[in-house]
Amino acid sequence: MILVRAPLRISFVGGGTDLPDFYHRYPGRVISATIDKFIYVLINHIPHTKKVIVKYTSTEAVDSPFQLSHTRVKATLCDLGIMRDIEIGSFADISAKAGLGSSSSFSVALLKGLNAFLGKNLNKQEVAEAACRLEIDVLKEPIGKQDQYAAAFGGFNIFQFNPDDSVEVKPVLLSHDKIEALHNNLLLFFTGITRPASSILNEQRNNIPDKFNILKEMADSVFEFEKYLLGGDFESAGKLLDNGWQKKKSLASKISNNVFNSLYETGLKAGAWGGKILGAGGGGCMLFMTPLDKKENIKKAIINLARKENMSGFEELPFKFTECGVDIVYRDDR
Amino acid sequence: MFIATTVDMEKYITNFFNEINSHLKLVSPVEIAKGLKILGATYERDGRIYVIGNGGSLAIARHFVGDLNKTVFSRHLDKKIKRFQAIALPTTDSELTAWANDIGYDMVFAGPLKNYIQETDTLVAISASGNSPNIIKAVKVAKEFGIPVIALTGFDGGKLLPLADAKIFVSTEKGKYEIVESIHEIICHLITKYFQELISNRI
Repeated sequence: MILVRAPLRISFVGGGTDLPDFYHRYPGRVISATIDKFIYVLINHIPHTKKVIVKYTSTEAVDSPFQLSHTRVKATLCDLGIMRDIEIGSFADISAKAGLGSSSSFSVALLKGLNAFLGKNLNKQEVAEAACRLEIDVLKEPIGKQDQYAAAFGGFNIFQFNPDDSVEVKPVLLSHDKIEALHNNLLLFFTGITRPASSILNEQRNNIPDKFNILKEMADSVFEFEKYLLGGDFESAGKLLDNGWQKKKSLASKISNNVFNSLYETGLKAGAWGGKILGAGGGGCMLFMTPLDKKENIKKAIINLARKENMSGFEELPFKFTECGVDIVYRDDR
Repeated sequence: MFIATTVDMEKYITNFFNEINSHLKLVSPVEIAKGLKILGATYERDGRIYVIGNGGSLAIARHFVGDLNKTVFSRHLDKKIKRFQAIALPTTDSELTAWANDIGYDMVFAGPLKNYIQETDTLVAISASGNSPNIIKAVKVAKEFGIPVIALTGFDGGKLLPLADAKIFVSTEKGKYEIVESIHEIICHLITKYFQELISNRI
């Protein structure tokens, strides 16, 4: 049995510049950090059953991976030539489609685990590349590359997506006291609304030629955000977050909506420096950068409004940052 | 006469301090920071940290293990918190002599490392020359297994430096053990202090 976990992530600035239609023309950049919420993939060898069993929100037991409905597991098993006698289960600390990159964290954990099952040890770069290949090249999902890299590497990083399709990783070496301070200045909410990223990302991709200059500014502002983090200037970082969010909203029509806009404005009116919706938009999580002394008031104001709007799943999502990327946390098949 | 001797000794002592200082300044903070991140991640996933070295470096390795396991948590020994799992290899003299006598001295670390190693772990290799065959053998075991390696080296970094994920390197002429080992000890204390504060912050 092999148990692998990969973390979810919060992306701060630069989301959307990791789409090929953009980074083929200008280097895309994203700054993100992983949090202590994980996707777990468990891989079990079940000899003599001649079955492929996959357990997620539903359970599939089939004779061949070609019969699976779970597209990622199906494509991966077929690609790696694993045809039977295997059981795969997945577990998550947070429900899927929360805007925290969970679907790519799943792919990263799955590929790390299945390769280990075959006796092959993929390093962080290799597993990130393999997950990108699976999701973008094989399954033709309209997504970018930032989540696969964030989940594989772990910690605070800047990822640069080069026009030649290579990806550079620059760790942001924040000391523990800065990380703690940043954490204290952040508020994370789960909106209770989940959505697939695809439709928004498709529209966003089609808009890239028109919005090229905005995306370019977003990619360039990543280093500015890093500078504020390293200097502990969370007010400037928060304002840059707000600036990035205003730009991002303009990239596709469904990234935000009236309810999200009024939640966001309520946060700012109560004193937040900035914030954003995490992920492609349309639902998922909301992040705010707040002054310490106003944090409780901001939290109250936002939750009150969400209650008024009957958003029953809306709640604060407590988290910590983690240095861990994808890890095999247990195996007994040596 | 009396005064002249004192001045002469003072100069000798100051020269040594200056030499340490000039080499200390050249150690890359980025590589130490990478080492801290690797150790932090290992702690978070409850992995083990193996520390190896020969001679003076063995003394540093054992001291570092003690600091990670005990000193980091000194202010909170009565609290129920996850601790570091640092291990000096080999863990017994009988294993050391068994591997050295039966197989060869180059296996004294690689051999015992294979007993413990898991995907969640990290290896810290301390070698002034970076060329000790027993250190390189253990590092290769770690790399083949896919766990991170933090190197503390000196001189020209030797074979160890290019193999490491965090390359903590005290660049000196060959044979300057006193400079390299002194600075390695300082860096181990820096790491200890960093985690002492990290743990206190979290409680």
